[in-house]
Amino acid sequence: MGIQASLRREHRLAVAGFATAFVLAGGATTAALTLGGRNAFFRPAVHQPISFNHRKHVTELDIGCTTCHLTVETEAFSGLPDADLCAGCHLEPQGKSEEEKKLVEMLKKGTALAWKPLFRQPAHVFYSHRRHVIAAKLQCRVCHGAIADTIAPPVRVRRLVMDDCVSCHRRERVSTDCTVCHR
Amino acid sequence: MARWGMVIDLDRCTACQACVVACQVENNVAPPSAEQATRGRAISWLRLVPFKESEHGTRPGLRLVPLPCMQCDRPPCTKVCPVQATQIDKEGLVAQVYPRCIGCRYCTTACPYTVRHFNWERPEWPEPMAEGLNPDVSVRPRGVVEKCTFCHHRLQRAKDKAAAESRPLREGDYVPACVETCPAGAMVFGDLDDPRSAVVRLSESPRAFRLLEELGTRPKVIYLSKGEWGGTV
Repeated sequence: MGIQASLRREHRLAVAGFATAFVLAGGATTAALTLGGRNAFFRPAVHQPISFNHRKHVTELDIGCTTCHLTVETEAFSGLPDADLCAGCHLEPQGKSEEEKKLVEMLKKGTALAWKPLFRQPAHVFYSHRRHVIAAKLQCRVCHGAIADTIAPPVRVRRLVMDDCVSCHRRERVSTDCTVCHR
Repeated sequence: MARWGMVIDLDRCTACQACVVACQVENNVAPPSAEQATRGRAISWLRLVPFKESEHGTRPGLRLVPLPCMQCDRPPCTKVCPVQATQIDKEGLVAQVYPRCIGCRYCTTACPYTVRHFNWERPEWPEPMAEGLNPDVSVRPRGVVEKCTFCHHRLQRAKDKAAAESRPLREGDYVPACVETCPAGAMVFGDLDDPRSAVVRLSESPRAFRLLEELGTRPKVIYLSKGEWGGTV
């Protein structure tokens, strides 16, 4: 066998090897992702104690955001509702949903509702809901997207980055000094 | 727009160090380990620095001078930062953005007042203290530079409150922790551009002087002292 043929053969082997490895790795990934009969791509990013239906409350029943997120207009943080607040309406079932049954049971047992925040704010950033909602009259959906129109915890949470803050501050001619937000 | 400044009256200061403690607690500055301290790596945003007074003075001996960041109007530190992690803002505050800092320490070298500190280690608190950190101030990671910020997180809070009550910021709304704590009333804080503010009145005193004025850094921390140090030399 000449040197050319030998090189060609080696190349073919290498390509075949790569292809095999690629297929195997792909198969393993798919298997891992669909483990337990569910595909990780379609699972919500954050698991909540109850699969809360925002659309039902906000759009259909016309309940304002501040009814449950109590401190939006008075504090820097927006606040997540506690069990007592839910119990104001849900001590008895209001509808027929399975999730509500789960909630009514939890309320009867007195389990605390540990809602997990969908939006995480880094420790070195200061953000005040009060200031943006009251003074700047910002609508919730500007940052939180169409959360009010979801029927279950969103699969993908909208990612807010510094560019979102800075571009809005520039547009509205608000200070972009570091000290305004960073701490 | 305000231009924040501080006046420290050395004739009133008793060197009790209450300001130093208030600063450490307010700004989540971790106490150094014995090893760190011996290597000169203890972090303190506000220190009491001993200066020898003139032997010919009326009060010979040591004088302890509280030394926060001077918040210079022409800061040498911001000019050398290669990544714009430290900048002077429109209200004259020299800010440090920790996630942007790459830890090159040019700024600690450039600062003639030696008030910038590098985090050589991850900060650690003794058990009960770790529970009591100030949530308004972020904990700095290892490898970044930190310094006195004039407690600008208090300005954020004060502005937020003023905006919610739809009124302008009033004098006394924003005061750093050291000034608030000083039991001798030796520290005064306010807007240097507001002719009615107490800091302006005091800074025009014949006792007023600034540290290393000849460097042209234009510090916004103004000291008051009678005798050889003060303006009445």
